Amino acid sequence: MLRKTQLYDYHRAHAKLTEFAGYDMPLWYTTTSEEHMAVRNASGIFDVSHMARFEVTGGQSTEFLEGLVPTAVQSQQQGKAFYTLLLNDHGGIIDDLIIVRLQSDRYMVVVNAANAQADKKHMLDHAPSGLQLVDRTEETAMIAVQGPAAQSSLQPLTDLDLSQLKRFRSAETKVLGEDAIVSRTGYTGEDGFEVILYNATMENPGGALKTWGKLALSSTPCGLGARDSLRLEAGLPLHGSDIDQNTDPYQADLSWVITAEKGGYIGEGALSTYKEHGPTFIRRGLVMDSGIPRHGFEVVDESGPIGEVTSGTFSPLLRKGVALCKVKRERSAYGTEVGVLVRDSRQRAAITKPPFYAESLYGWKRQKGN
Amino acid sequence: MEVHGYQIVEGLLYTKEHEWAKPEGQLVKIGVTDYAAKTLNDVVFVTLPKVDAKVEQSKSMGTVESIKAVSEVYSPVSGTVTKVNGALDTHPELVNSSPYGDGWLVEVTPSNLTAERKDLLDAKGYAEYLGSLMSK
Repeated sequence: MLRKTQLYDYHRAHAKLTEFAGYDMPLWYTTTSEEHMAVRNASGIFDVSHMARFEVTGGQSTEFLEGLVPTAVQSQQQGKAFYTLLLNDHGGIIDDLIIVRLQSDRYMVVVNAANAQADKKHMLDHAPSGLQLVDRTEETAMIAVQGPAAQSSLQPLTDLDLSQLKRFRSAETKVLGEDAIVSRTGYTGEDGFEVILYNATMENPGGALKTWGKLALSSTPCGLGARDSLRLEAGLPLHGSDIDQNTDPYQADLSWVITAEKGGYIGEGALSTYKEHGPTFIRRGLVMDSGIPRHGFEVVDESGPIGEVTSGTFSPLLRKGVALCKVKRERSAYGTEVGVLVRDSRQRAAITKPPFYAESLYGWKRQKGN
Repeated sequence: MEVHGYQIVEGLLYTKEHEWAKPEGQLVKIGVTDYAAKTLNDVVFVTLPKVDAKVEQSKSMGTVESIKAVSEVYSPVSGTVTKVNGALDTHPELVNSSPYGDGWLVEVTPSNLTAERKDLLDAKGYAEYLGSLMSK
């Protein structure tokens, strides 16, 4: 029996459904290309309620999280949302996640659905007595509003002045009268928001369905198909495909999350060794001349195999195949010409720094027209 | 005719892998069905054999890809490729908009059509087969 989100009734009526991380989720409503382009050019909405949300409170919550992630927590201001990693003792990535510092000793931890139980166990195993870790997944819904028009789509639903909310900032507010956390974050490369809605249960999803319905008047509902093609075009890794328990932050090309002067967290010892030696393989982006790269395809050069595609897709913007891959570090320089074995034929590709689109034209850094 | 919103054209021959074959004189035109195209969602890339290539019944002769997925195309008949739909290089979406028309894939000279015909379904048979898939 698949789990459902609070917005399931909408998806069942409007989308092609697919199983993802044990949930029955929308794959697409119209077409992945259309939904993808709606996010790049205007605004799209995604049901991301399947992601798990843990609220961490108690006097030791900062010290607790400080011990779990390589990013300094203490120096994050209240209202900050930051991307970081949960590491195991070997420095391998248990999950990537967003932590929202709601108050000095109250946090919302948002993790991937597929890893929710593993993350929860890892956190509970290291929780000091007196710390409260409450799983809010089933009593909250989460909707992402993404794209250059995301702010104008969401603004009518809240009194919070969204123009004052900077990227990677969060605020507790109300959305359609219900308690909510609004963060200027996302998984598409675009400007946008992720909204956690309280008081939304399966039995009584009222606020969540109403919010989704209102947003759908000005934003395009998007399924997991577009979510994947958008994050790939932006070069954002997917845990379980591009990074996993056997990938350390240096291999993952995510070492920027490590706060240099910080110590005393799980995996720290292993990381100093990795830093010294440097990774054998490193995560990179690549753009194909022709053909669509898929998970597991071999990356080669004249010397033979040098790596493999960890996830790939067709980029609706570039009209070309793009991928994230892991390649030998000595062959990982941007611009390196490589081959990708697409079934029985070798196709030309170039190691490319994501995002794969021009940042002057697309993505959250683009110039705002004024 | 239409089954659960999927178009089926009378007079064509069908496979259970959702390809169609249309005998036209000495030649057979080949494509994928509306069901195949809609299930893939949006077709963005098509790989086809070259002219003069030999294709074999039920063997892969190419791929039709959407953003998310790859689908093998199995040839409904054996033969030699005489024509390839070059329009799909730049407009693969024709497979979605016109699966039985402008979205055709290849044309072949069949080598064993009389014998191979019995392995293919007519429109009615394919409609029943689709219906059985839907009721699962």
